[in-house]
Amino acid sequence: MTTAAIEFEKVNVLRGKRRILAIDGLSIAPSEVLAVLGPNGAGKSTFLKCCVGMIGLSSGSVRVLGRSVGDLSMVGLTRLRRRVAYLAQILAHGSEMPLTVREVVAIGRTGRIGLCRFFGNSDWQMVDQWIERLGLKNLARRPYNVLSGGEQRKTLLAMAMVQQPDILLLDEPTANLDAYWREQMVAVLENLHARENLTIVLVCHNLETIPKNTDRVLILREGQILAHGRPEEVLHQDRIESLYGQGLAVLRHHGRFLLAPQIQEECH
Amino acid sequence: MDLLFWMPVLCAGLVAGASTGLLGGYIVGMRIPFLGICVAHAALAGAVFGALGGLSGPLLLLPALAAASISAIFVGLLDPQTIRIDINVVLGLLFSLMMGLAFLGLGLFSIYGISDNEVRNLLWGSLAFCRWSDLWIMAGTAGVECLFVVVFYKEMRAILFSRTHAAAAGIHVTFIWTLFLLLASLVLTVNFQTVGGLMIYSLLANPAVAASRLVRGYGPTLLVSAILGAASGLGGFLISAATDLPTGAMIVILSSLLVALAIAVKAWLA
Repeated sequence: MTTAAIEFEKVNVLRGKRRILAIDGLSIAPSEVLAVLGPNGAGKSTFLKCCVGMIGLSSGSVRVLGRSVGDLSMVGLTRLRRRVAYLAQILAHGSEMPLTVREVVAIGRTGRIGLCRFFGNSDWQMVDQWIERLGLKNLARRPYNVLSGGEQRKTLLAMAMVQQPDILLLDEPTANLDAYWREQMVAVLENLHARENLTIVLVCHNLETIPKNTDRVLILREGQILAHGRPEEVLHQDRIESLYGQGLAVLRHHGRFLLAPQIQEECH
Repeated sequence: MDLLFWMPVLCAGLVAGASTGLLGGYIVGMRIPFLGICVAHAALAGAVFGALGGLSGPLLLLPALAAASISAIFVGLLDPQTIRIDINVVLGLLFSLMMGLAFLGLGLFSIYGISDNEVRNLLWGSLAFCRWSDLWIMAGTAGVECLFVVVFYKEMRAILFSRTHAAAAGIHVTFIWTLFLLLASLVLTVNFQTVGGLMIYSLLANPAVAASRLVRGYGPTLLVSAILGAASGLGGFLISAATDLPTGAMIVILSSLLVALAIAVKAWLA
């Protein structure tokens, strides 16, 4: 039997008296692409943070790559995080020091190499390979802080990939990006999954961010699972209306989804 | 100038400037320059109360180091998300508290009728009185700092970028960050007697700010920051010796001029 990449069991996360996540059971298989959707405050970011031990559970357990995150020591958690790349929703401000794109990407390799060891040629080769694959070659020597939002996101994605993770957790990777950069990012994710066979958990607000090769969609509301299943089963008109109210239509085109305002009838 | 007599002073200016400049590369890089001034004032408060307790000479470093380490660890391990206050606001609060404690201690000297000359030297600096014994302590501290930079070079680059990203990438952030805070306490405590608790901030911040305007990349910025710090320490003393003006003030003014020069050079190159 294959071990699940991520398993949630009777998970409750409370902040004060407020419950921000409550998931009875959920299993994410290796190499699966899962998109997590939901309105603001639904618990999507908390869902990801639970997977890397960045938020404590009030009860229950989250098992990642067969290990219970809550039971791990600090050293154990650090080791697990080397196999799970997590990209936060908010872009890192970076440093006042002008770190170059190449140096920022290399950060992803640091944990893998371990303490008291130096970067070798093979490590730098991997850094350069991912810089090239994500179209950052011309920017490699430029300071991270002067890049556009889209370029910074791609740099952070390259940083995650040089980590050689088994699982990639992405919190709104297309936030603040224009349509061009959003499409670039979605294409990158589709390619990554096809080539690297990664487990990808993607939190997003917009349906158009969901890659074509997404296996399942999970919808959260008020910290609980409202629905989960194949995208075409879950993302239907009634469900979207129950989440976001009336006036929005779900469009599907070549395996991608789009949420558009229903304004045609009013125009006539 | 009697070079043999002034050699320890020249070397002390060089070492103090280089080691605080190197440390400043990290502290300014992490956008927490207030940490430096806060720790320096905690050291000053510790030294003042140590002197009130009867300690003198190099022994004053012990209470200074203890106070600096406690304040650095306190600040460093605070989680801004938990306390919901920006870290720079916390540093401002702690800085004013430490300043208040230091001046309270200075006030107590006159109440108890004790001479506060030695402590006042710590406040304003006494580079010109540095001797070989002081220099060895400073050089040893600089050696420890260099060793830390070499051993944790790549981890500190990650922490410098973002502690959250570094932790997410599987780096032992808490362990290395705590070590760094202890190192910062040591470097600031040992060196604040040269330029003074009030003015060490300039040696910490100015070379790093100038370096980040002149070069790009982690290693080059650290190196140039240390070089500019050394130039400020040594140059400030030489200007002071030539003009008979206060050494600490000359170091501050020279390092500030280096920042202005770096900004001008960058603008000219652009």
